[in-house]
Amino acid sequence: MGKNDSYEVFVEMERDGNGEMGAKIKKKKEKKKERMENMKKEIDIDDHQLSFEELEMKYTTSVTKGMTSTMAAQVLERDGCNELKPPKGTPEYIKFARQLAGGLQCLMWVAAVICFIAFGILMGQGNLTSYDDLYLAIVLIAVVVVTGCFGYYQEFKSTNIIASFKNLVPQQATVFRDGQKFNINANQLVVGDLVEVKGGDRVPADVRIVSAQSFKVDNSSLTGESEPQSRTPEFTHENPLETKNIAFFSTTCLEGVATGIIINTGDRTIIGRIASLASGVGNEKTPIAIEIEHFVDIIAGLAIFFGATFFCVAMTIGYRFLEAMIFFMAIVVAYVPEGLLATVTVCLSLTAKRLARKNCVVKNLEAVETLGSTSVICSDKTGTLTQNRMTVSHLWFDNHIHSADTTEDQSGQSFDQSSETWRALGRVAGLCNRAVFKPGQDAVPIPKRDVVGDASETALLKFTELAFGNIVDYRNRFKKVCELPFNSTNKFQLSVHELEDPLDLRYLLVMKGAPERILERCSTIMIKGQELPLDEQWKEAFQTAYMDLGGLGERVLGFCHLLLNEKEHPRGFGFDVDEMNFTTSGLCFAGLISMIDPPRASVPDAVMKCRTAGIRVIMVTGDHPITAKAIAANVGIITEGSETVEDIALRLRIPVEQVNKRDARACVVNGGQLKDMSSEELDDLLRNHPEMVFARTSPQQKLIIVESCQRLGSIVAVTGDGVNDSPALKKADIGIAMGISGSDAAKNAADMILLDDNFASIVTGVEQGRLIFDNLKKSIAYTLTKNIPELTPYLIYITVSVPLPLGCITILFIELATDIFPSVSLAYEKAESDIMNLKPRNPRKDRLVNESLAAYSYFQIGAIQSFAGFTDYFTCLAQEGWRPLLCVGLRSAWENAYNQEVQDSYGQEWTFAQRLYQEYTCYTVFFVSIEICQISDVLIRKTRRLSLFQQGFFRNKVLLSAIVFQLCLGTFLCYCPGMPNIFNFMPIRVQWWFIPVPYGILIFIYDEIRKLGVRRHPGSWWDKELYY
Amino acid sequence: MSNKDKKTCGDVLDEWKEFFWNPRTREFMGRTGSSWALILLFYLVFYCFLTGLFALTMWVMLQTLDDYKPTYQDRLATPGMMIRPRSKTLEITYSMSNTETWDGYVNTLNEFLLPYNDSLQAANNEFCTPGKYFTQDDNSDVRNNPKRSCQFNRTLLEDCSGLEDQYYGYRNGQPCVLIKLNRVIGMKPGDGEAPFVTCTGKKYKVGKDTWKEDSDKIGPIAYFPPNGTFNLMYYPYYGKHAQVNYSQPLVAVKFLNLTMNTDINIECRIMARNIKVDNDRDKFAGRVSFLLRIDNI
Repeated sequence: MGKNDSYEVFVEMERDGNGEMGAKIKKKKEKKKERMENMKKEIDIDDHQLSFEELEMKYTTSVTKGMTSTMAAQVLERDGCNELKPPKGTPEYIKFARQLAGGLQCLMWVAAVICFIAFGILMGQGNLTSYDDLYLAIVLIAVVVVTGCFGYYQEFKSTNIIASFKNLVPQQATVFRDGQKFNINANQLVVGDLVEVKGGDRVPADVRIVSAQSFKVDNSSLTGESEPQSRTPEFTHENPLETKNIAFFSTTCLEGVATGIIINTGDRTIIGRIASLASGVGNEKTPIAIEIEHFVDIIAGLAIFFGATFFCVAMTIGYRFLEAMIFFMAIVVAYVPEGLLATVTVCLSLTAKRLARKNCVVKNLEAVETLGSTSVICSDKTGTLTQNRMTVSHLWFDNHIHSADTTEDQSGQSFDQSSETWRALGRVAGLCNRAVFKPGQDAVPIPKRDVVGDASETALLKFTELAFGNIVDYRNRFKKVCELPFNSTNKFQLSVHELEDPLDLRYLLVMKGAPERILERCSTIMIKGQELPLDEQWKEAFQTAYMDLGGLGERVLGFCHLLLNEKEHPRGFGFDVDEMNFTTSGLCFAGLISMIDPPRASVPDAVMKCRTAGIRVIMVTGDHPITAKAIAANVGIITEGSETVEDIALRLRIPVEQVNKRDARACVVNGGQLKDMSSEELDDLLRNHPEMVFARTSPQQKLIIVESCQRLGSIVAVTGDGVNDSPALKKADIGIAMGISGSDAAKNAADMILLDDNFASIVTGVEQGRLIFDNLKKSIAYTLTKNIPELTPYLIYITVSVPLPLGCITILFIELATDIFPSVSLAYEKAESDIMNLKPRNPRKDRLVNESLAAYSYFQIGAIQSFAGFTDYFTCLAQEGWRPLLCVGLRSAWENAYNQEVQDSYGQEWTFAQRLYQEYTCYTVFFVSIEICQISDVLIRKTRRLSLFQQGFFRNKVLLSAIVFQLCLGTFLCYCPGMPNIFNFMPIRVQWWFIPVPYGILIFIYDEIRKLGVRRHPGSWWDKELYY
Repeated sequence: MSNKDKKTCGDVLDEWKEFFWNPRTREFMGRTGSSWALILLFYLVFYCFLTGLFALTMWVMLQTLDDYKPTYQDRLATPGMMIRPRSKTLEITYSMSNTETWDGYVNTLNEFLLPYNDSLQAANNEFCTPGKYFTQDDNSDVRNNPKRSCQFNRTLLEDCSGLEDQYYGYRNGQPCVLIKLNRVIGMKPGDGEAPFVTCTGKKYKVGKDTWKEDSDKIGPIAYFPPNGTFNLMYYPYYGKHAQVNYSQPLVAVKFLNLTMNTDINIECRIMARNIKVDNDRDKFAGRVSFLLRIDNI
């Protein structure tokens, strides 16, 4: 079964140290390398090879009496408490600071600084006419801080959800000191302590076993093996992870009792080292963060381009240098989309909330989108794809393999239970079983009940309970006379029972065990209730069935029984299991039962959906290749008809070497092979085989696999629950941990947590991620558009010297008040097409904000909006007496606060205050124009390709209410008394609301034409230039 | 990974160079020549269309405007007031002994009053009936243009006309200040009763909650025309296109006995039944305040 493939936990550590992190600061690198080297050295545990005497010497302890209390106190002083240091939590202020330092945030900081500078210059010059620059700077900072607080709160909340899972009850351990037995807190244990561990306990540290009685531990969180591992004092393997005489910290003891000497405590345990390995792995930047940076680059580039252009223009026109400089700054600042940060944050947290309702908790808001971009999912097997619970899956009797129902809720189909043979087989399985349910679980569904007993007995107990009903009662009817528990030398278990019928005085002997051992003892086989002699033909059939079931990666047990001869074994016969004074051969073979840790019911469907969504699912597990492959085939990671190289070789009956590797879609690689591979070979492997299963992988190898996928340009999601997954979870673009079965280490390293452990939730996550990417695109396009009608007034103001058409405070109201809700409402938009049938986006090509989006928003829709604004602006001025031609060049007279007699086109004279209110009216009119056009804009942004009539006007209720809200807020700002002097809004005439309407209709029609062209002529020039 | 993220300066420069001009694909800033031509043509057409549309709407809008009267005048409910001579800060300070300090004011006034010379007024404008609005309504659609204007003769300002005392009293410490009311089309101030100007000391703040007034320092004031009225016959105003030679009526205020060597804050306001003056936001709506200081040392 490949059990000898050893784990090379830290073998690849050097690679990280040298090559790929080369770009990092040298000092840091050296430090890191040093640490990694230390870890590598420390793995050389030799305690498992020492004899007890040497062990006692080394730790000044005794395998019978334990340490002396004084010695223990000294060692505790030296080594510290036996607990995992919590991963170096980022201090809260750094977490908060991180919220303030994203791409957009930096842009806004720069803008705020520029505002301060401009304000300073104006103040220094002494001609301070308004505090706009100061207000702007303050608002910019406020926006960054408020959204920062919001993001921080979100993070804080989800961290709390995660923290609540932590088991806060201090663990107790039984320890021998000075020859006395104590119960102390496990964190007080020290190296050299002699501890006792029994069924149900957590192993309190890395323990070298000194004595053990049928001691079994569950290593699944460390190695991914779902089968219990027995632990004995014998040294069996050089590799400390493989040898049977070491039990590891934090694994649970399933049954039996053992005592052992502690050889490592706290962070020096294997688990501790893996945990610290995870914290040494850098976090990847989320794809959305990369996209936003790219977008900020575009914005900053355009801002500087515009600023510089108009700086030159201003200089040529004849402004003074300082004035031109201030213009430059104002333009750069006007280009900053103040509202976008809030929009993006709110959109992401809306999706995060939606996901939380579906039991996916996102730790970092940006991770919401990552799943949508994911192209590879590396999934752990145990506990993620499977239930992490041994369950009866197949039975062989009557020369047929029957499938049992392995679903979690028993919704599947069961086999025909009418056969006599089945009753016999079921009776053996039920009676020859020492497992019992823990009391007080009557309300719990049978598959979920806790059981005392080992995994396969548990599986059989649940199986028979489901088949026969109350098994305790059943067992009582067949009173047990004696029993021989399973042991590894004879590999079977037997028990003798009285019969149900009190008149029948025969004894029933039932036996189960390794199938070949059972078969040896049988002379007959039961077929359809008839005992037939076990001839070669039946033996052949048995072998075939055994091989088949074994090939499915299942653990197979054989069952047989015998009604003991009444004469030889009369009532009251003294059965002695040590002497074996009764017949144990010539039994009747009843059948085989095989067990597996079955996949979760929802997994195959979810894997299928991932596949249609173009996402590759790779299994990476610590379990054995055969089991891994079987589960992979079962859940669809290896599809029907796909073959591995080995399969092809077997089918064609040729040696493995002759198979053309390209023919094999699937590939199962185990850790041993992986160890000898160069990273290029691994890349090749991943490129050539679409269906991959990695078995027997160490935590470090999981990390390497993730890195390899990332090297190939994929965005990688990793799912896992065990400690062994945590480094990979951290390295992945998005780490997904299981909420129920997941270990704390895994949850800490992950970005997302599935509260219900349901792999299918990932599909929801992918869908939501893709949707939010699309919708963010729309939101951003919407938000960017109005940048142009906010900027052009200023440009015209500079170049043509008209009275300022749009004030700074008004712009802030558009950005941060009226347009926020509509842009957020686009996050509620339904997908335009079936996004789950598309390939994941190519992170290099499908950008969040691409050129055509910027060009279309800025230079087309934005331009139309500007024209709408100016039409309204000039109309408003002309109707009040200032004809357009007079306005040109009017600026200096208009803005002269000492001139109370400026003449309009009709010869009327205006005081400065009168002109100022007129200017405010212009602001308001321009504001209203932008609002009206933005209503049209938000409607067209609902779709990028489909016609709005196909998508439906009224489907998105939030968007409709957002439009109503926008209008109401606009009206309120215009007509609320007191507004003119506070926020520079004037009550405007009703007809000025309608002047921009034709432009709004134009926007709508133009966009419909654009979409029509895009739909009708895919790939054409029109499509390329105008589809964003 | 790290290598990909962190580019050297040279890489970035090369990338930019290639973006600017890629000799391999013959692309300038990411587009080939023909691609640029196409996109620029597209934008040319697009903007021509938009500009055309804009021009059209502007033209339509201008057609709706009246040539002689703005559509709305709600901003000008209270006409502004201004003084002559005016400086940026509205301060009239001079030293009697030093001619240079005040001859600027005299020159300003001379220049300002030039169009009001009686001869010019007689030539351009006609004599109207005082005490009555001089209305010249249009007959429905027939324009009654050009509108005539009433004479405002410089001599009306008597002592402040600069005819007898060509220094407007500045030389002997009795300065004249001319007050004008901003022109507003169609305005009929006073509602049938001639509006007039009064000047008083202005209340001004000296400290927290302490106000001061300079009334006692102003002394007697003489107004020209008598009582400081704006005669009704100068109203209403019909706009600069219809009423080309309109002469804005003036009121001259002569301070007869100012306290010397001290700052005196004076506020003049229009007293008319239909003009509200107390607008906190507009210091020049129907009123004007200025500072007088005459040094005689």
